[in-house]
Amino acid sequence: MESLNIYQNSYLFVIVFLFVALMLPIVALSVGRLLRPNQPTEQKMLTYESGMEPFQDARVQFHVRYYLFALLFVIFDVETVFLYPWAVAYEKLGVFALIEMLIFIVMLFLGLVYAWKKKVLKWR
Amino acid sequence: MEWLAERLAQAPGLENMLYFLAITLPLLSIILGFVTYAILAERKVIGYIQLRYGPNRVGGRFGLLQTVADVLKLLIKEDTRPKLADKPLYILAPIIAFVPSFAILVAIPITETLTFANMGVGLLYVIAVSGLSTIGMVTAGWASNNKYALMGGMRAVAQMISYEVPLIMSAVGVVLFAGSLNLTVIVEQQQFVPYILLQPIGFIVFFIAATAELNRTPFDLPEAESELIAGYHVEYSGFRWAMFMLSEYVYLFAMSALITVLFLGGWNPIIGLGFIPDVVWFALKFSIVVFVFMWIRATLPRLRADQLMEFGWKVLLPVAMFNIFFSAVLKELFF
Amino acid sequence: MSGEVIVFLLLSSTAILGGILMLNLKKVIHMLLAVVLTFLSLAGLYVMLSAEFVAAVQILIYSGAVTIVMIFGIMLTKHQAKEEKNKNPLRTTLVGLGIVVFFVTIYLAIRNLYFGQEATALHVNNTEQIGIKIFSYYVIPFELVSIVLLVALMGAVVLAKGEEGDEK
Repeated sequence: MESLNIYQNSYLFVIVFLFVALMLPIVALSVGRLLRPNQPTEQKMLTYESGMEPFQDARVQFHVRYYLFALLFVIFDVETVFLYPWAVAYEKLGVFALIEMLIFIVMLFLGLVYAWKKKVLKWR
Repeated sequence: MEWLAERLAQAPGLENMLYFLAITLPLLSIILGFVTYAILAERKVIGYIQLRYGPNRVGGRFGLLQTVADVLKLLIKEDTRPKLADKPLYILAPIIAFVPSFAILVAIPITETLTFANMGVGLLYVIAVSGLSTIGMVTAGWASNNKYALMGGMRAVAQMISYEVPLIMSAVGVVLFAGSLNLTVIVEQQQFVPYILLQPIGFIVFFIAATAELNRTPFDLPEAESELIAGYHVEYSGFRWAMFMLSEYVYLFAMSALITVLFLGGWNPIIGLGFIPDVVWFALKFSIVVFVFMWIRATLPRLRADQLMEFGWKVLLPVAMFNIFFSAVLKELFF
Repeated sequence: MSGEVIVFLLLSSTAILGGILMLNLKKVIHMLLAVVLTFLSLAGLYVMLSAEFVAAVQILIYSGAVTIVMIFGIMLTKHQAKEEKNKNPLRTTLVGLGIVVFFVTIYLAIRNLYFGQEATALHVNNTEQIGIKIFSYYVIPFELVSIVLLVALMGAVVLAKGEEGDEK
């Protein structure tokens, strides 16, 4: 029962931290509103572009390589998620688990090498 | 701080929540104090390394009130918002960036009795929640509707995701030796030997990846002043901008504390010096890590974007993978 | 009402709110943030079920990684807000009817569902329990996961490379 209490209290603590973290910017910005001047002019509200008149929409299309790196990230992230329970339970599992993990890591390393050879990892 | 541990063992309820709030608020003020003086210390350290004085006007010879003055100035500065910006997201972005940075501190144990949440998945919680800040950055970039901001935001995300994988992987070695994700247990396991000695490769990879995650020089491309002006927060001013700055330094606090806990043995004293209190040991190790971060910042030049990405994927990731394997073999043979 | 129920109600209503916002907001980035809200409240629900490892993974993979993929996917396309709403009363009625039928079916199905004995020690060494299960009972599926991930990686590379070739 005590372990369950600690478990629940820990996450109660997380809620308290989240609450405080949310309140700080809200309070600081509300108090700041009373202190700071507010005289918006046309010039002040212009988008900054090194002194030039801004042109076109800023939301341009990005290159596909960003997307590719994000995909690689998801794949390796999923892999590491499997690594953690393995590392925690390793003492109870023994050498067999080591071989299982070796196969798993080698598979993904092959994927990395493939991406490398296909020049996906090149950032231009 | 014994009462805190007792509180954690009692049935949860509103009363507990108030107690937790009572310990969170002092922590918040300590964090704010740390940020204030970390900024000053950083300017001073970089100043001395580059043979300058650094701030020395406001608040005596050491400029002790410089950052305080800066904060007051930010508080009364006008808050401008570009007309083309996306208003709700523009307001939301600094909050999204800040909240995770403070929320991760809950999992980090300071001393044996001064621990906040005793979570079974502490390490994973810290890494997972800190990843949420990237969303705040890209939101800021997108909401500003500014070319530099969007470029900076996208670069920030690309960099963060590239270095998050080696960061997570290099910590696996520590988990392997400790047999737990609970940060308190990890510290207790280091009573005699800190993991920096057992995991030197893991430590180096973790440290480099942490520097990149913190967006500090030599990995400060998202904020490169000379190329992107200030990156994702170029349109922000006043206290909204200060929230981004604050979250950056709270992350510095959290990351240094995490490195202390994972690799330097947390509050454990060097054997034979146990008469010095736990808190002092933690603070000492923590300060050394913070100092090294500043030292690196003052010493190294910025990387190029392609070097940065390729270093993450082609060097750090394979090394981290190898380290996991090496650690497992080491554990199998000697422990 | 106990604290647990209050937290559950808060989390579940936030999850639903995120879903509704996602469907009704106009700009894609707004929708994306609504989805993140749903993901986070789901993580909270996992915590309540004593599955803290799954909760952490939910935050790491879904709120962190998958969201980033979606953001980059959006940035890849032309993402100007377009309003296309054709209101067809017949369709709305049919969809509404479908929802009601679905709700009634599910309600009747789960009302008397019995899950067997409740597990009480899930929160003790949650990660270790998962690790032992994966690496002793579910070894074959685990190794298959690595193949699936490898195929996904290669597929992504081939697709993206093809697209790049078209540009040149």
